[in-house]
Amino acid sequence: MTQPIKMLRDAAWQVYEQTGLPTTRNEDWKYTDLSRLTAVLGETWWTPSHAADLDKETVEEQSIPELDAYRLIFINGRFQEDMPNLPEGVSVVPLSTLLVSDADKAAKALEMDEKTPLFNGAIAVNTAMASDGACICIADGVKLDKPLYLLHVATSGGASHIRHGIWMGRGATAHVIEHYVGNSTDAGLTHNVTLVHLDEAATLYHDRLQLEAEKQFHLGRVDVKQLRNSRFVSHSLALGAALSRVDIAVSLSGVNASCVLNGLYLIGGRQHADHHTRIDHASPDCTSQETYKGVLSGRAHAVFNGKVVVHEGADGTDAKQSNGNLLLSDHAEVDTKPELEIYADEVKCAHGATVGQLDLEQLFYLQSRGLDKTSAKNVLTFAFADDALTQMISAPVRRYLERAALKRLPQGDELQEMV
Amino acid sequence: MAKNTQVEALVKQEYEAGFVTDIEADTVPPGLNEDVIRLISAKKHEPEWMTEWRLAAYRHWLTMSEPKWAHVNYEPVDYQSISYYSAPKSNDDAPQSLDEVDPKLLETYKKLGIPLHEQAMLAGVAVDAVFDSVSVATTFKKKLAEAGVIFCPMSEAVEKHPDLVRQYLGSVVPTTDNFFASLNSAVFTDGSFVYIPKGVRCPMELSTYFRINASNTGQFERTLIIADEDSYVSYLEGCTAPMRDENQLHAAVVELVALENAQIKYATVQNWYPGDENGVGGIYNFVTKRGACRGKHSRISWTQVETGSAITWKYPSCILIGDDSVGEFYSVALTNNYQQADTGTKMVHIGKNTKSTIISKGISAGHGQQSYRGLVKVLKGAENARNYSQCDSLLLGKTCGAHTFPYIEVKNPTAQIEHEATTSKIGDDQLFYCMQRGISEEDAVSMIVNGFCKDVFAELPMEFAVEAGKLLAVSLEGAVG
Repeated sequence: MTQPIKMLRDAAWQVYEQTGLPTTRNEDWKYTDLSRLTAVLGETWWTPSHAADLDKETVEEQSIPELDAYRLIFINGRFQEDMPNLPEGVSVVPLSTLLVSDADKAAKALEMDEKTPLFNGAIAVNTAMASDGACICIADGVKLDKPLYLLHVATSGGASHIRHGIWMGRGATAHVIEHYVGNSTDAGLTHNVTLVHLDEAATLYHDRLQLEAEKQFHLGRVDVKQLRNSRFVSHSLALGAALSRVDIAVSLSGVNASCVLNGLYLIGGRQHADHHTRIDHASPDCTSQETYKGVLSGRAHAVFNGKVVVHEGADGTDAKQSNGNLLLSDHAEVDTKPELEIYADEVKCAHGATVGQLDLEQLFYLQSRGLDKTSAKNVLTFAFADDALTQMISAPVRRYLERAALKRLPQGDELQEMV
Repeated sequence: MAKNTQVEALVKQEYEAGFVTDIEADTVPPGLNEDVIRLISAKKHEPEWMTEWRLAAYRHWLTMSEPKWAHVNYEPVDYQSISYYSAPKSNDDAPQSLDEVDPKLLETYKKLGIPLHEQAMLAGVAVDAVFDSVSVATTFKKKLAEAGVIFCPMSEAVEKHPDLVRQYLGSVVPTTDNFFASLNSAVFTDGSFVYIPKGVRCPMELSTYFRINASNTGQFERTLIIADEDSYVSYLEGCTAPMRDENQLHAAVVELVALENAQIKYATVQNWYPGDENGVGGIYNFVTKRGACRGKHSRISWTQVETGSAITWKYPSCILIGDDSVGEFYSVALTNNYQQADTGTKMVHIGKNTKSTIISKGISAGHGQQSYRGLVKVLKGAENARNYSQCDSLLLGKTCGAHTFPYIEVKNPTAQIEHEATTSKIGDDQLFYCMQRGISEEDAVSMIVNGFCKDVFAELPMEFAVEAGKLLAVSLEGAVG
């Protein structure tokens, strides 16, 4: 390891040793108890998983069907030597390669300011331990013709520390899909941090699909910095994992930048899904739009916290946020907190949150049209959840998610032809 | 920039109720220890259990630290530099009627525009006026006594109705509840006690005017209102304070208990001294207000108009225990200059078919910082709980802030929870429309702000609605540029 990287890693590790994992005493972690992680994986929860190989068929099985994309495969957090042929102006270098070949760039990919919103000890561990990831650079003006598809498969216990970086040049456009799946029956941890930098007028569509195996723990973080006129459209889905937590922090730091943060958590059993988003309106005339939907059954517990901060001078801000939750069982629990912090007056901000169950009149209407009760419930639940996906630009991805969502509803298979 | 000058002139309006009445006060030297608490207890002729209750609260308070989570900044309070007891000298021979009340005190009320007897007579309001820490004048007692209503200072209630006090005091806000509530439990000097017996509809609006007067004295009021089965009471609380530079601490506790079919309406107009335009001085208002709907179909509503205080830290809450009980919270909060307010409510749904409504209107001007912090919690057994929350903020100026922190925790699928919040400034087109109809800018702003607060004012009793409107007009009119 080269000297600057070693210093960076040591410093980050020290931060973790000082702060440790966040506890429920911490306001941002009030409803998500990471002691579950240490109880299952032990005090050395960060111990890296072993390298593994996957045969082609399994990989195809886990991939999104019918998706035409540049595919990069990570197994247990390690990049598989199978780089697609990328068009000119697009460079993707695995972090593992960068760590050997270009320490400066690798350090840039690993850097994470402690003062950044929602920073915590787990992120420091990622900085200290991340061994692989995709460092993606899109040159000025390049419009990527196909999505970049990052498939992550966890095949065994242990932790994968992944660090992705996406740097978009002026006016560049791309669609990046981060897809997390697993077939491990042991409990493990997927721990990912993605840093995004959007130069002027760049556009990034970012899909983050978390469909991990049922015992997996998942910690994710997306950190976005946007310059003038740039646009960031994010979809974050949590369907899998025993416990998942995804933090998305967007800083709108150029005039007229805009972002869309949509998400869906559809969980049951004893699953726990937590989404924290934070949007900093640091420049004038920026817009943000956020829609998160949640469907909970069994003893599932969901947490949503959306914070919009409008800084002084960020006039012309237009921020909208909504969070809807559907409780399908007596034992499900949801804690939601849409927050606004506003220090400017020329703004339009609105947020809303709802929690409820299916509308009995709607159910009755569908039943009066000849649907049985389960199907009627499924149709309404599906329609509720699908609302969060309408802005997705890739039809195969949306179809894949809709199918996965239906599979999680009772007798949902019967409705598969709907999508 | 004619507009701006106008705005400045209006925003700079000085605090109208700022003056100090010169009454000799019987004050305990600053500092807090068990002896001081024993002294307060002795001065109030309290029974042994009350003294012990205070001491237990004090001992618990020593183990606590001041909460830091609120979105406010202030110089730390030195709790040892505060004098915890101050009673007007005339206390020893307490007046039986208004004629015997210290004329200077009556003058104070006159200056505040609250002619005690007049208002009491005309508006049919019984006033239990708290001047500093000891109740001085209590009116309309007889009329209330006929109805069986007990409305008296807390110290009197401890003496005369010890069973009721013992049963209910601290049952809604325990002595260990929070830092300021514990402090209050240890050192509270007075406040009001109200008991409405079964089936009685209180014949008049009950009202208390608080006023901080003696310099350097914290006010620790304790109010307890019990509405027995099938009863109704409406209680009004209002306060102003004289102008001075030192920060004064005000840590009150209000407890409401509503039994089966009972209804309590609690309205507050709070106009403590907010500090001058540079943020110097002003009252620290750290209040714990909580009501328990214990019985079926009980109902508690909080209405507040908060225009004063340098720092406000206040969350009137409802614990909805009884089935079909209802909790309501209507609030207008205004922060101007360097005022900071972190206020909101908690609605805890425990019983079946419980309903709660939250309407919060925040107005922020100058360097004011305003936060709504609310919790809607639905516990597992709260079938068909229903909540509607609306939190709107109006921003007047570039340097103020408005924040919303609503917590929603739901453990029952039949619950229906809605929360909405918006933040905006007064629209130029709204102003333009009014002005092209010949309405001056200030009047237009006043109209729009009044419209913005209409939902809350509608919940206030008439007399208070007028006072509240006037307060807002004084503090805000034309504060938009």
